[in-house]
Amino acid sequence: MQSYDIIIIGGGVVGSAIARELTRYQLTVGVLEKESDVCTQTSGRNTGMLHAGSLYKTGSLKAQCCVEGNREFDQVARELDVPFKRTGKLIVGFTEEHRQRLLAMIERGRANGVPGMELIDRARMDEIDPSAGGNFAIYCPSSGILDPFIYTIALAENAVKNGARYHLYTEVTGSEMLPDGRHLLHTSKGDFACRWVINSAGLHSAEISEMLGIPGYVIQPVKGEYFVLDKKAGAFARIPVYPAPTVRNTFDTHATPTVDGNVLVGPNSFNVADGEDYSVSQSGMDGLQESGARMFKHMKREYYIRTFAGARPKRIDPETGEIQDFLIERRDEVPGVINLVGIESPGLTSALPIARRVVRLLQEKETLTPNPSFDPVRKGILRFHEASREEQARLIAADPDYGEIVCRCETVTRAEIRAAIHNPLGVCTVNGIKVRTRASMGRCQGGYCETRITAMIREELGKAVTDVRLTNGDSVMFTGYIKGGEQA
Amino acid sequence: MKRTFTCIVCPNGCEIETEYEGTEVLSVTGNLCPKGRTYVTQELVDPRRTIATSVRVLNGTMPLTSVRLTSPVPKARIFDVMDEINRQTLTAPVRIGDVVIRNILGLNSDVIVTKNIDKA
Amino acid sequence: MMKKQAVIVGGGPAGLAAALRLREKGITDILILEREHLLGGILRQCIHDGFGLTRFGESLSGPEYAQRFINRVLEEGIECITDCTVLDITGDKVITAASRKQGLLQIQADAVLLTMGCRERTRGALATPGTRPAGIYTAGVAQNYINLQNIMVGHEVVILGSGDIGMIMARRMTLEGAHVKGVYEVQSYPSGLPRNIEQCLNDYGIPLHLSHTVVDIRGRERLTSVVVAQCDEHFRPIPGTEEEIPCDTLILSVGLIPENELSLAAGVELDARTRGAFVDENCQTSVPGIFAAGNVLHVHDLVDFVSLEAEALADSAAEYLLEGSLPECRLTVKAGNNVGHVIPQRISGIRPFTLSLRVRQPLSNVSIVVRQGEKEILRKKMRKALPAEMIQLPVRADKLNDSEDMEVFVE
Repeated sequence: MQSYDIIIIGGGVVGSAIARELTRYQLTVGVLEKESDVCTQTSGRNTGMLHAGSLYKTGSLKAQCCVEGNREFDQVARELDVPFKRTGKLIVGFTEEHRQRLLAMIERGRANGVPGMELIDRARMDEIDPSAGGNFAIYCPSSGILDPFIYTIALAENAVKNGARYHLYTEVTGSEMLPDGRHLLHTSKGDFACRWVINSAGLHSAEISEMLGIPGYVIQPVKGEYFVLDKKAGAFARIPVYPAPTVRNTFDTHATPTVDGNVLVGPNSFNVADGEDYSVSQSGMDGLQESGARMFKHMKREYYIRTFAGARPKRIDPETGEIQDFLIERRDEVPGVINLVGIESPGLTSALPIARRVVRLLQEKETLTPNPSFDPVRKGILRFHEASREEQARLIAADPDYGEIVCRCETVTRAEIRAAIHNPLGVCTVNGIKVRTRASMGRCQGGYCETRITAMIREELGKAVTDVRLTNGDSVMFTGYIKGGEQA
Repeated sequence: MKRTFTCIVCPNGCEIETEYEGTEVLSVTGNLCPKGRTYVTQELVDPRRTIATSVRVLNGTMPLTSVRLTSPVPKARIFDVMDEINRQTLTAPVRIGDVVIRNILGLNSDVIVTKNIDKA
Repeated sequence: MMKKQAVIVGGGPAGLAAALRLREKGITDILILEREHLLGGILRQCIHDGFGLTRFGESLSGPEYAQRFINRVLEEGIECITDCTVLDITGDKVITAASRKQGLLQIQADAVLLTMGCRERTRGALATPGTRPAGIYTAGVAQNYINLQNIMVGHEVVILGSGDIGMIMARRMTLEGAHVKGVYEVQSYPSGLPRNIEQCLNDYGIPLHLSHTVVDIRGRERLTSVVVAQCDEHFRPIPGTEEEIPCDTLILSVGLIPENELSLAAGVELDARTRGAFVDENCQTSVPGIFAAGNVLHVHDLVDFVSLEAEALADSAAEYLLEGSLPECRLTVKAGNNVGHVIPQRISGIRPFTLSLRVRQPLSNVSIVVRQGEKEILRKKMRKALPAEMIQLPVRADKLNDSEDMEVFVE
């Protein structure tokens, strides 16, 4: 049995932010993640927006955390080496009704503390981004785009650097109280004991909450599907373009450039029973083609390189079905539990502010001693593609693996793949390498590099062919050798 | 009897309308060259195919070399031929044209290497 | 900066053939850049036979065909850098490449020969609905694992698309013990060659379902099944015709796309139909001194024709290097009725050249007509014309004039 002071259930962006913030103190921290990596679910399946915070009800946790997270993100991105651009955002309208909603949004944004929002006309829009649809727009300068995979990974890696431990493929199946007042968690990888359990289980947060003794919450997974467009389309997209909010005060399909130069078009939005069903539907994609074209004038079939889906775990009122605020709670009658339920969009932007609120709840019960060796800085894998020619020449001279391009679409070198294979979290899936390096994210979708990456995983980690996995669980890539005999 | 054959001798892939009696060809039309008639005649009597596959190479720069048959074998024997080839293991270096199995299963066809593999 | 007369980007069949012809024409200062460790390009994994019938009069495997050229390139002492990926080509022909052995290279070339080949269309480009499990491979990726790496990708196989590589992989996987349940093609006619339907599918009892496509992919970790359905003439699935097929592997053979990212960087204009460069009768692109041939120009079905095209390119490139210029090509060649695309797209009207084209749909008893202005230059009768087969027509100079545009159409 393994023991920690604190165990976090769920290694998504919020769980990892909590882990990282807790390592500022002298605590032993374990993170239990049921999947193969930290960003295979909601944290990796979203638009990658740094939201401004104008959509949420004034005074709500969503509004507070979002505005707080937005304000500090330049520094966070520097500290953690996260690809990030403060692009601003256009929220566009076509009709008078839209205009009224946008004006209301500006008012709410001001009340929430969002800086610099203004209503602009088509002429100003054309200066900002002629590819945007719409007749007028809110220009919101504080919005930005970031790499959600790298941000989650960076938080987790920084937590690990400062002493936290991650347990992948570790699904919590039950819990009980030990006589000494600690929690005993049963998992697919054995038992874990701890003084505090933090529920950051995202789509499963209501179930985990109930398991820990706080029943009654309802999570409604809301699925969204996306298109990923080629960088050729990205050449036209300068700024995220969102439609005016719907009557239910949510955003429909938007078009967002990514930090790497692609374009995301999506999501649509519909309730599902199973939040982990990431299949995309024909009807959904047909709808996105239409709604996406309203936001982005270059929504063309020849630019499609991929589709994906994600699910936002919305906490709803079981009576009215109304969507509720983030829930971050500690109850005296359920000792040793901090409960997070319904952390959805803007969870990416809010991750660190949420984590600090968790720390404060803990501090209500315990005095935490600062960790003198805490280092907030994390360096990512150096990207050959982003280096100057002189720097590239130096890199190859120092390590010939930089001279071998494994992924040609994204210009990812063998040295980078090698670094990703030996990542601090011990992730060894093909998708894990992909999100860390961008290898196979380009237009050929791994047609050139996948065969090389799987070979490197086998060589670097000494894995059998039947042990190479694409992503979660039993996603084995291969069934065996073609010709028998002694194998290399 | 009438039957349409797709000739596989070359990439033209002629569709050959054939009239035949038993294994005797009465007439062929649609073939661009005389090989078409030969092909159809053979198909009626004893359809034959070549195959290409691979053989494990030990101590090489690659784990496999590729091999092929030097002449076609009866279609019905293809999987017997595969079984025989699958029993082979070579040691690097191997060179194009190296004979892996001479006269495989007595079918008057050799299995030859089609790719050079150097020693690791 | 290194200087070279001719730099060839890609050491596959097109690049090798071009290098040898350049040498024959007296060009001495040639450099081949190849990103793989070995020369030969995609032929290294195409172990089936049928290559070289036109070129050598015998049926060779891909590696054998390639080796004949490689041997001659080595004999001629033509300089090759392998493990070397070109990162950029500029309009004034400066090439930047990353190499394990030689670091970051910058080369000023007098002529650049683009012979990068093509890549496979992916599921993402098709936007096939469903999950994203392990077990989905393009035919070429499966071929790499099976033929080069000794790795089996699965046992219960469905193939989407009737491209030649897909059919060849159907046979290949069957020989290695897999059960190929069927090939599904969205079009009403096959996209590969008839002989491959015969010898790769029919011989092994693998059914080909035309006007069918995959409408759903299932399985969260490894693929568990696909749902196929019949399609109407607009390629839309017909409701009620869905059938679920349990399988652990889906192979995609849904088209090849010329690999022109470097061409674009150099400012080369592309043809939306071929997705390769606009070229003149000299295989010269819109950027003077930059030439293209082989699958990077337009997708071929036979390597023999790739070699021929690359040699024609080299003839022109040699002339460009030795004479300093090539005849101006101001006349356009238009793909007319039922012609999918045509190469070259520009001609001089004073020299002979070879037209390459594909028809848009399967046709029988038609004529391919080449016309310049009102004058018919050439007419070729064809009993059958298939989109799967590239048609090549030599055009003689004495029939041409140097003032009127050309049109190629099916009658």
